[in-house]
Formats: sequence, C-alpha cells, structure tokens
Amino acid sequence: MRAIVAAIALTLLLAVTACSPAVSGPGTSQVLRLNLSGEPATLDPARASWAGEVAVIRQVFQGLLGFNHDLTLRPVVAQEVPSAANGGISPDGRTLLFRLRQGVRWSDGEPVTARDFEYGLKRLLDPAIGARYASFYYAIVGAREYNTAKDTDDAGKSALRDRVGVRALDDRTLEIRLAEPRYSFLHLMALWPAYPVRRDMIEKYGDRWIEPATYIGNGPFKVTEWAHQDHITLETNANYWGTRPKLDKLVLRMVKDENVAYVSYLRGELELAAVPAGNEKAVMEDGALSKEIVRYNALSTFALQFNLKVAPFDNKKLRQAIALAVDRDSFISKVRSGVGRPAYSWVPPGMPGHDPALGKQYSFNPPQARQLLAEAGYPEGKGLPALKFQYSDVGANKTIGEFLQAQLKENLGIPLALEPMEPRAFSQMVNERKHTWAFFGWNADYPDPDNWLSEIFASGSRLNSTGYSNARFDELVQRAKAETEPQKRLALWSEAQRMMVDDVPAVFLYHRERFFLKKPYVLGLTTTGMDGLIPGDFFLGQVYIAPH
Amino acid sequence: MLVYLAGRLLWIIPVLLGVSLITFLLMHLVPGGPWDMDKPLASEVVENLNRKYGLDKPVWLQYPVFLANILRGDLGVSYTYQDRGVAEIILSGLPVTATLGLLAFLFSILVGPPLGVLAAVRHNSWVDYVSVGLATVFASIPGFVLGLILILVFAVGLRLLPTGGWGTVEQVLLPALALGALPAAYNARIVRASVLDVLRQDYIRTARAKGLSETMVHSRHVLRNALIPLLTVLGPELAALVTGSFIIETLFSIPGVGRFFIQAVFARDYALIMGSVLFYALVIALLNLIVDILYGIVDPRTRS
Repeated sequence: MRAIVAAIALTLLLAVTACSPAVSGPGTSQVLRLNLSGEPATLDPARASWAGEVAVIRQVFQGLLGFNHDLTLRPVVAQEVPSAANGGISPDGRTLLFRLRQGVRWSDGEPVTARDFEYGLKRLLDPAIGARYASFYYAIVGAREYNTAKDTDDAGKSALRDRVGVRALDDRTLEIRLAEPRYSFLHLMALWPAYPVRRDMIEKYGDRWIEPATYIGNGPFKVTEWAHQDHITLETNANYWGTRPKLDKLVLRMVKDENVAYVSYLRGELELAAVPAGNEKAVMEDGALSKEIVRYNALSTFALQFNLKVAPFDNKKLRQAIALAVDRDSFISKVRSGVGRPAYSWVPPGMPGHDPALGKQYSFNPPQARQLLAEAGYPEGKGLPALKFQYSDVGANKTIGEFLQAQLKENLGIPLALEPMEPRAFSQMVNERKHTWAFFGWNADYPDPDNWLSEIFASGSRLNSTGYSNARFDELVQRAKAETEPQKRLALWSEAQRMMVDDVPAVFLYHRERFFLKKPYVLGLTTTGMDGLIPGDFFLGQVYIAPH
Repeated sequence: MLVYLAGRLLWIIPVLLGVSLITFLLMHLVPGGPWDMDKPLASEVVENLNRKYGLDKPVWLQYPVFLANILRGDLGVSYTYQDRGVAEIILSGLPVTATLGLLAFLFSILVGPPLGVLAAVRHNSWVDYVSVGLATVFASIPGFVLGLILILVFAVGLRLLPTGGWGTVEQVLLPALALGALPAAYNARIVRASVLDVLRQDYIRTARAKGLSETMVHSRHVLRNALIPLLTVLGPELAALVTGSFIIETLFSIPGVGRFFIQAVFARDYALIMGSVLFYALVIALLNLIVDILYGIVDPRTRS
C-alpha cells in the first residue's frame, strides 16, 4: 500500500517539479551534501558493521592497505602491499610484515605508529568489545582463542591477548602471524576493522571516544559535528598526511525515507540521492533527470536458496527444473524496471572469479524445465508436495515472490505459496535452517571469491544455509584459500564454482545495480562495486564541486 | 486530595511492574533475537555479545536483574546504538518529540473542538457537512500519506517550507500539521457528538426557558458539559503525541524519540524496548492521573 502511494506521489512530484522554478545551487563552495539514510549505531571501527557507519569511518580513518578503483589492493599507510617478492610474506605464507610510511599523522598531529594498528586489531578481538567482524580475523594466531575467552580472569585474558599474533616490531613495522597461509587475509587488512585507533583516547573517554571532540582519525576528513538522528558534518583534516581532499566539507544527512531524500535532491538540498525502487523508469524517461543518472554494478547477487536437507528440494532434477523455469531477463525488465543484471552463477561481475558463461545451461527454457520436472518424478507437477517460498517482508521482496509464483504457475503448472515474514523472524528461521526455499542476498565484504564460495557453500560453514555439501568442492576451496599464486587460485575457484552452480543449491536470480542521481556540478566521483551506503565512498577525497 | 494523589501515584508502581513483565515476556516470545541478521554472526561473536549484554543468563534471571538495574536508575545500554545508554537516547530525543507533540496537540485542540462545536450548533447545515467531511477525511488519511501530500504541496510545489529536519520554525510546521490532523479530526467528531447530546438535555431546555441568551446557554451550559468526554481522550492523545510518531519522525527526518519505539522492536533491542515501553507507560499513567484530576474540577460529581 505504502509503495503504491509513494509511487503515485512521486509521479505527481515529477509533474510538479517539471513546472517549478530551478533552485539556485550552493555556489561553488566545496560542500557535498549526501544522505546517510539513518543514524550510525556507532563510529567505532571495531564495532561498526552497517554500510552507513563504514561510509563515515572510511573518510576518517585509513588502513595499512586500501583498494584501487578496480578493487585491487594498494598500499595506503603501508609502504607497499606485502608479497613474497618484497619479503612482506614469509616463504611459508604465515608471516606478514607491513612497513609503515613515514610522516603519517593523526588529525591532532601525533604520529601514527605500528602500535596503533596492533592496539586496533587486538581491541577488535577483545571479547568484551563484542565486535561483529572479529571472526573475520580468526586466521591470526591466537585470535580465536582470545576472542572466545569466556570465564578467564584478567590475567588469563591478558596472557591470551599477548599470544595473539600481531606485534609492532618497532614504530614502523607490524608483524602478523597467521595460523595457516591465507591469501585473502591481505584484503581483510584493507577493511575498517583493521584500521588503527587511538589507545589514549579510548582509555580516557571509554565508549564516548567516538564523539567529535575525541574522535581522532588519520584519514582525509574529521568529524566536526554529530547531531544525532539529524546529520554528521565532516571537514578536511588539516593534519592529513596524504593528498588533501578537494572538498572542504561533507554534510551527511540522516533522511530515512528514500522518497523524502529523493525530493530533497530535486529541491537541491542533496547532491546525490538514490532513486526509490519502482521509479527508475520514470527517471530514465525524464529529460533532465535522465542526464543525472549514475548506475553501476555492485558486488552483490540475489538468489532463491533451497534447503537441500528438506524434501522435495533434495531432488536435483527438481531444482534444475525450477532454475530453467525462471525467466531472469523478464524479471529484470518487468520487475526491476531494467535495473540490475540477470544472474546465472554466484560470483558477481567485477569480482575475480566471475565467469559470464557459467550457469547458462539454466537459462530460461520451459520445455526442458517440464521434461526435468517429469524426470524428477513429478510429471506436470503431479505428486509434488505443496511448495513454499519464504522471504523477509521488506522493500520490494514481495514483488520477487509474486514474480516467482507466476513463473512456476505459468511454466511448470506448479502452485507456490508465499510466506512473507518479519525480518528478524525470517533471519532466525534461515539461520536455524528451518526454511524450505528462501530469498537470499549477498554483498561482498572483500573482493575475493573466498568471501563467496567457501563461506557460503562449504560444508559446515556457518553461512551455508542451503545445506550444500560436496567433498570435492570443499577440497577445492580449501586449496584455493591457501594458494598464493593468483592464476592457480582463480582456476581452483572457477572449478569449485562450476561444480556448485551445476548442483543448483539455489536459483541465482540477479546481480544488483546501483541507481543514483548526481547533480551535474559534482565531478570526480569514482564508484566501485564495493561502495558502502554512499556511492564512491572510497574516493570522496577526489570529488569536487564545479562552478554552476 | 493529597492522600488521593499519593494513592494514585503509588498505584503507578504496580502498573509499571505489570507493563514491564508483560513486555519482557512478549519480547522474548517473539521469534528472532537481537543477533539474528541477514548475514549471520559467528557463534563465538554471538556468545560475546550475549555475555556483554547479560543475555547469556537464563531468561527468568534476566528480569530481576533488569528490575534491580532500574531501581539503581540504570536502563542499560542499547544493543543497536552500542555506545549510548537507553536513558540517554530517550532523554536526548524527548525535547524534540515533546515539542512536536505539544504543537500537534495544540493544533488538535485549537482546531478540532471549535470545528465540532460549530458543526453541532449548525447541525444539518452546510457548515456541519463541511466540518464532518473534513474531519472524516483527516481521520481516514494515514499519517505518511498526509505527510507526503504536505511535502509535495508545500515543499515541492509551492516551495514555502523545507522537506524535513529540525531546528527552525519552518521545519516544525508540516510535521506538526501531519501529526495533529488525526487527533484534531477525532476531537472534532467527539465534541460534535457530545454537544449534540448535551443540546438535547432537559437542563438546556430549562436554561432556554429561563430566558438565557443562546450565547450564555452555549458557553455556560453546553460547552462545559460537552467537553467532559473530550477530556477523557485528551490524556492518551497527548501521551501518544508527546511520545512521538515513528512515521512522522521518519518521514520528516526529525531527531525525536518516536522512531526508537518501532526501531527497537524491529531490531529486538531488548534494552531499548523495555526502556521505551516503561517511559511510554509512565507518561500515559501520569497524564491519565492529570486528566482524572481535571475531570474532578470540570465535573463535581466525580469528586466523590
């Protein structure tokens, strides 16, 4: 109901704005106003997990490593990306050495040292912090033991902490020891949980250290104002050690309603805004707005995941029949208004290991789908138990369920019951593997297939909610994780993914595309598939406002 | 009177206890917990979080611990806004929400009752039809629709007012109107029905028979008696308005406390749910007490 009203309202809005006088812009002051969509729960790098929080943290802190525009790794605070060739990775692949650049400073002018990184990582693993991303760093020697210390006394915890394989050898050298070789660990060192933090501030101000006066970072911007639930203002960090940002100020408003944010953009109160779902077509057909569209692929895939442990989805031929009966092209054009790309495999475009040819054997083919349905033991759907599809009842998920329902009815003659659920209840059900067939999406944490294949489809993985289990697949991903030679790794990932896709643990439906509007006078925006909530949030320092 | 007041105030304690116990039980019965997310957390991380927030203890033990903390004035820390206390969250948003709520309330009592009186006095005339029509329309339109319409007309079409935010008079007008429209319509309908009822009473006929002017009849006898039913609803109405509206605060990006009620439930933020519900219950209980006292002043029969 609400979506319909919003759609009608926005249609009216487009008509109204077409007749409205243009609003004068903010001149050429280097101020960029964006929408953060809500209040960050925290700005503490150890505790942050929401994309909106990460978008702010990325402006205020910088890690040893970072990402290039193409998502390859680049050194940031580190002098170079560790490799076997430069001696940064030991021959056994278990010890990493990071040498820090000279002259890197905090926003209060103090030097950034290897000890700040050591403190940040060990604090992340402190069980008392309750960091959501701590488990990502369990590859470090002693990390799991420290993070899971339960009834240990302070001395015991301190001993466990000292045994964690992170050590500042001197002010400019950080050593990290891994329990086993893991190539993708370098990507983790480019993520926000591995950013350095100021021990003195945290010890002095406790959880309050994230308020502007004590929120000291080493990035291009610093937070100068946090009006809770309203906006955050960031200004250029005068002590920034790298290339000074072109912008003077970033204002991040917290408009939760995307329709209102969109209206704010049209009124000239925001320089960037997402287009509310269902309105993409109207924007594309609007003469002026169509020139302000920014669209690009996100590293994310959405799928309809079967529970392979539950009949009838333990029947591979049935899964294949269903995969062949879903017309992804029609889904993108009719349901997604042409935004997004049809998916036939799991690893998305833009990610190493993506193979556009993979999974095409499951392209839309109703006759073959019906034949496989018969081979599965259910000719024309006869004898098939009632099928249910579960999804979190938010956003446009309902339209996805309805599309699927229509496709199965039309192409296989199978009825499908839809089970919309409250989001947390849905998550609990899937996490406890009590679903039968459910909607599922995945966004990249880091640009490596490790984050997509072993974590989601390896036997026994906590994220494997399909129950997919294949000994050969498990062996391949284990080998790939430890392999340091990029081409060999990719070959292993490729073979593993091909095997998994062929087994159809899920119907891969679409890869998300981000669809934004940007004022023409905002220049220098560089987007990546891993952007957080704000498009181009990895490189906001390069954005500038042109005279207008 | 003081004894009565003290008694009523003391009664609030068991009421709050009852509310807290029911809320506590319900929120633990609802499927899904605070750490059930799209992207599941590692079991080790969940254990750490449970330990941090005391959720590793049996549920029957968590409630007395919560009560003991409340007695010490500690509402706990939000699971969502991890670095902020529940009391701090509520208190920081309260002035904003209360200001908005009071303005909406002011609008509802300045517009609603006069409209109701006018409609009743001009019963079955075009004034009545227009008033009833307006009241019906505003009582039927959901807040978010009215809010969007107001934004479209005043912020986008006429460009007179901003789309949202907080801090200036211009930013308050649209949300106050969107929030106050429904209670205003409700008040108008109650007052209209009540005035019509009073107008049919014998004592009104007597007043007229005694030769009192219509103005005197209406102001002295009709209005005073007709407002009694309105008083009954004003307490909960004011409580609902000053404790905030999730929809209006979200739509107009207002940094109030209203949105926390719903967000806390969606996020299974037990600490924030308990804090918010207790706060809401306390406000309702106090406002009901005030209404009862006012009732006694307006209607002497209820004093006994």
